Amino acid sequence: MIEVRSLTKTYGAVRAVTGLSFSAPAGKVTGFLGPNGAGKTTTFRCLLGLAEPTSGAALIGGRRYRELDHPRRQVGAVLESSGFHPARTGRNHLRVIARAAGFDGARIDLLLELVGLRAAADRRVGGYSLGMRQRLGLAAALLGDPPVVVLDEPANGLDPEGHRWVRRLLRIWAGEGRTVVVSSHLLAEIAQVVDHVVVIRDGALVSETDLADLTGAVTVRVDRLEPMLCALRAAGVDHVVTDGAISVPGGDAAEVGAIAARAGVTVTELGRRSPGDILEAMFLALTRGTEQ
Amino acid sequence: MTDLVAAEWLKLRTTRLLVGIVPAAVILSLASQAGVVLSADDAALETTETIRRAFAVTGAGAILVLVLGIIISAGEYRHGTASDTFLTTPRRHLVLAAKLTVGAGVGVATGAAISASCVGLAALVYTARGAAFPIGDGEVWLTLAGVVAYTTLFAVVGVAFGSMVRNQTVAVAGALAWFGVIEHTLVNLVPDLGRWLPFAAGEAIVRAPLDDLLSPLAGAAVLTAYGAAIALAGIRVAATRDA
Repeated sequence: MIEVRSLTKTYGAVRAVTGLSFSAPAGKVTGFLGPNGAGKTTTFRCLLGLAEPTSGAALIGGRRYRELDHPRRQVGAVLESSGFHPARTGRNHLRVIARAAGFDGARIDLLLELVGLRAAADRRVGGYSLGMRQRLGLAAALLGDPPVVVLDEPANGLDPEGHRWVRRLLRIWAGEGRTVVVSSHLLAEIAQVVDHVVVIRDGALVSETDLADLTGAVTVRVDRLEPMLCALRAAGVDHVVTDGAISVPGGDAAEVGAIAARAGVTVTELGRRSPGDILEAMFLALTRGTEQ
Repeated sequence: MTDLVAAEWLKLRTTRLLVGIVPAAVILSLASQAGVVLSADDAALETTETIRRAFAVTGAGAILVLVLGIIISAGEYRHGTASDTFLTTPRRHLVLAAKLTVGAGVGVATGAAISASCVGLAALVYTARGAAFPIGDGEVWLTLAGVVAYTTLFAVVGVAFGSMVRNQTVAVAGALAWFGVIEHTLVNLVPDLGRWLPFAAGEAIVRAPLDDLLSPLAGAAVLTAYGAAIALAGIRVAATRDA
């Protein structure tokens, strides 16, 4: 369980994060979303003890990272800013971390296998692709078999197969009861896998939503709006009109189609929006105009 | 702490740094020594003065050991491995302590390699020129002990300096500028101050035949004090600045 409480981090005159509060529950995948420069990485760095919060706190299981015993056994993290020594092999990168953390290194081969780097393990990291580095970072994060996993933009550099693979891993970890937090500036990358969504912008919280609370909606377009709206009201169906499209939260496509037929209007478009679509619309609306 | 030292040693062994810098340090020392023994005329060859000069210059390799020390600590920021290191060991002063330990070990080993190579070279040149190399001379052994102390302390100062500056390029350039230009300028401007500066302290340890140097032990103490002060500044930087 991760808790961020009124976290503020300033760099000189720049406020990277302002009064941010949210939580990431165990057993769920929490998506940490925001456009580039929103403060996601800064939040992670404060959470992981790499940066000192100006005020507020970011806690893991109720404690600051620097107070954790055996932090590698408690938290596994992949940060965008983490690098690798180009002359060191992938296997040696893991050996160094295992050694410093006091692990015996027995998991190294297992993890290299898991992330698909077994064949490249003894090659220098300088020759790795971005995707291979991401995989190596993931293996490093998992060395201590931690109950909390924090991933900063894990999809970067991965091919579509790699994306699917990461999403599957995230689900498995959450299923095992781990706390999984994954940041992204693109909702589409994680929409299918998250249970809990935290959206930030300009360093401040925009929304925190549990996906279970979002229900789908049916959208319909008809040739004549007024008779359709009368029919919906008459049928007691809640609805919202945006740009000429009628949206029925929690609605059923067959029912909406039948109402249209009774009202004698022609349906020109009938579709279902999943909770993910709604999330996406919400995310787009919230972050619109912040991308350069 | 044992694990941390082992990890730092593993970091160093798994890059090409050691095989690049240690031989270069030995070669630099050998070249400096060769310059002295080859240019000395036959009459001067067996004098204590020449022997002292010939071995004092073998400290030349220490400057490369200092660079190696800088890379041991500042290299983590250059390659972005510092965050992984601090994720594993959030108590950052322990990381620096482990690095200083490994740096000192490498300094001792490099100093020993330089000493052994230089004794070998000197013996060869002396024999070739028909002179007797005074292997039993106490001057030789005191100077060689000084070389080991010199490289060791320079490695420690390098690690400490790299942890304080963090930017590897700036730290290496700054150190080279200091030892190449700045210290000499200061010595000329303020001679009384000069012998307390780090390079002069190092020269004192290897008993360089120069005027106004401290005693070898005082030189070692001064250099140790520099190392400790810079390391404390490094700890302060690591504790207060984000990584």
